[in-house]
Amino acid sequence: MTTQSLPSPAPTPNYAIQAARRARRQALTGYTLVAPSLLVVALLIIYPAAGSVIRSVIVYNNGVATFSLQRYADFFNNPISMQNLGFTLSITLLTLAFLFLVCFPLALYLRFSNSRIASAVQLLALFPLFVPAIILAYALIRFFITRGVFQTLINGVGIASYSMPIQKPAGIIIGLVWDNLPFTILILTAGLRQIDDALLESARDVGASNTQIFFRIILPLMQRPALIVFSLNFMGLFGSYTLPYLLGPAAPQMMGVYMQRTLGDFLDTSAAETQAVISFIICAAAGFVYVWSVSRQRKGER
Amino acid sequence: MIAKRALFIVLVVALLAAFGLSGVAATRAQTPKTLYVYDTSDTNITDWLTNTVIPAFEKANPQYKVELVLARGQGASIDNIVDRIQAALQTNADPQADVLAYNPLSKPELIEAGLWLEIDEKNVPNVKNLRAGAKTSPVNLPYRGSQVLIGYNSEFVAEADVPKTFMDLVEWTKKNPGKFAYNRPDKGGSGGNFVVRAIYEVTGKDPSKFKPGEPDPALLAEYPKAWELLRQIHPNIYENGSYPASNTATLELLANGSINMASVWSDQALQAISKGVLPETIKLTQFTDLPMPGGFAYLAIPKNSTNIEGALAWVNFLLSEEIQISVVKNIGGFPAINWDLLPAELQSEFTSVIAPSVPSWPGGAYGAEMVKGWYENVATNIKRE
Repeated sequence: MTTQSLPSPAPTPNYAIQAARRARRQALTGYTLVAPSLLVVALLIIYPAAGSVIRSVIVYNNGVATFSLQRYADFFNNPISMQNLGFTLSITLLTLAFLFLVCFPLALYLRFSNSRIASAVQLLALFPLFVPAIILAYALIRFFITRGVFQTLINGVGIASYSMPIQKPAGIIIGLVWDNLPFTILILTAGLRQIDDALLESARDVGASNTQIFFRIILPLMQRPALIVFSLNFMGLFGSYTLPYLLGPAAPQMMGVYMQRTLGDFLDTSAAETQAVISFIICAAAGFVYVWSVSRQRKGER
Repeated sequence: MIAKRALFIVLVVALLAAFGLSGVAATRAQTPKTLYVYDTSDTNITDWLTNTVIPAFEKANPQYKVELVLARGQGASIDNIVDRIQAALQTNADPQADVLAYNPLSKPELIEAGLWLEIDEKNVPNVKNLRAGAKTSPVNLPYRGSQVLIGYNSEFVAEADVPKTFMDLVEWTKKNPGKFAYNRPDKGGSGGNFVVRAIYEVTGKDPSKFKPGEPDPALLAEYPKAWELLRQIHPNIYENGSYPASNTATLELLANGSINMASVWSDQALQAISKGVLPETIKLTQFTDLPMPGGFAYLAIPKNSTNIEGALAWVNFLLSEEIQISVVKNIGGFPAINWDLLPAELQSEFTSVIAPSVPSWPGGAYGAEMVKGWYENVATNIKRE
């Protein structure tokens, strides 16, 4: 109570000016440091992307530019483009599901095992990082083609009927899961390592079972890494090109392949741009989830 | 230190003198005139040019020395070379290019600008032996070709069942579901030209209707009939419409016995058979009512070449019987000259695949519409009204 009545000592004017100057200088340094990267992003990404968005809504009638959503209407009314969009979304989500199924148990194992096998597994899990997608695609084709290695193997154990997964949706999923394993495992193990051993031990001390620890402590704490894996992988998978191009069916096709075909084979620039904008909006939604989860963490740390 | 520098200077002077003297000596001895030949092909062709054709040419024409330049890929592509030649024409400079593996028809404005030399029987005598319809412009010259054929495994396809016409093939696929494949039309010419053949089938089997340039809307309107035809094959394509993604992927399915019939490029298939990549039981055939399309590799001579005489001698040599036989024997290509000018035993070896003509597809907008239509109507399972 007494402190309230005391007059707060006014800071010396000199000190205030100095602090303001320092803050301004710091801000200036900050802006200077981010300027080059901001410039690159603006020039090479935002400017052309904005151009695409604008061009996709402008239609020329006798030389007069008018605003029109006709191209989007065309896209959404065309069963082929809609099928390709739906196909891309389902392949993306299925691949994500398989990635979690494969990577989450692996990450748990890598986090809680200190054996020598674990480090070997870790190394193996990172291996796909060093294999270019195009080499992977051809390796998978050689492996899964009819009368190839895989069919010989399963015939050996008595399974006679075989239909190769490549040139089918399954081929894309196999390739994409393989290709995205290392990144997913890296993020998930990093997330798991952030969980303090002390936390788990104290839980065990008060009698928590392993299942309880998993569902009450690990799963809730893994939300953010899982969200990051989901959003970053979503964007990469949705826009993937090489593997769907080499391993996928002739129809339906994923958006990346479809866009390239619209541009390169059909020579239809505006339709390709419209497809690109639609893909961009969908990926931006996933990007928003990522930014939101990261900034939420920042706020939490403050 | 000084001694070292002196030695260096002496060496440089000696080197320069040696170069200068050799230059003088060269002009005095009249060394062969260099002939700049540009090629864009894959290694199989450029190896053949380097190891077979050029030595033979230089032996027959000791006054010329052939300098083969590969103009593949980006940046130094044949189009860049053509631009350079055009620039040289405007400034009266030496383009350092005498023969190009290039079809001037791809840039008609340069033909109009008078960049290319007209080639006919007068300056290249062997032109008289060319197959009918192969030479498509006064300024281009075909010298080897390949054509799309039907390849089949004679172990599983009886001689009597080998399709003679396109409709025969449609019937065969119905009786042998899952045993035929052609690749996606944009992923390789062996599938692309098969689709073109389907378009010919529904437009009166007259390839001459399709001319380069602006497409005829009446012909484009006939495309849906071709899709209907190909839809009949679709359910019987390997693995319920699993179209391979390249020429070689198709050959691989044929090689490992997954399918018994496919549309294939003549040169790829012939080479694969001779190398044992395809089993010996693979035989080739061509439709007898109208062959499938193919294409020729074309040559062109820039008007401002400083060695036109050498260039004409080179292209005439390529059309000689000796080299045309080598085209068939060594690279599995088709000759640009008439088959009956080749030895009888070579002819009989290829009887089944010799077509009276090689229909040439103009591509361009016709091709873009074709690929689009194929993907939207044949490959897809969506039914459109």
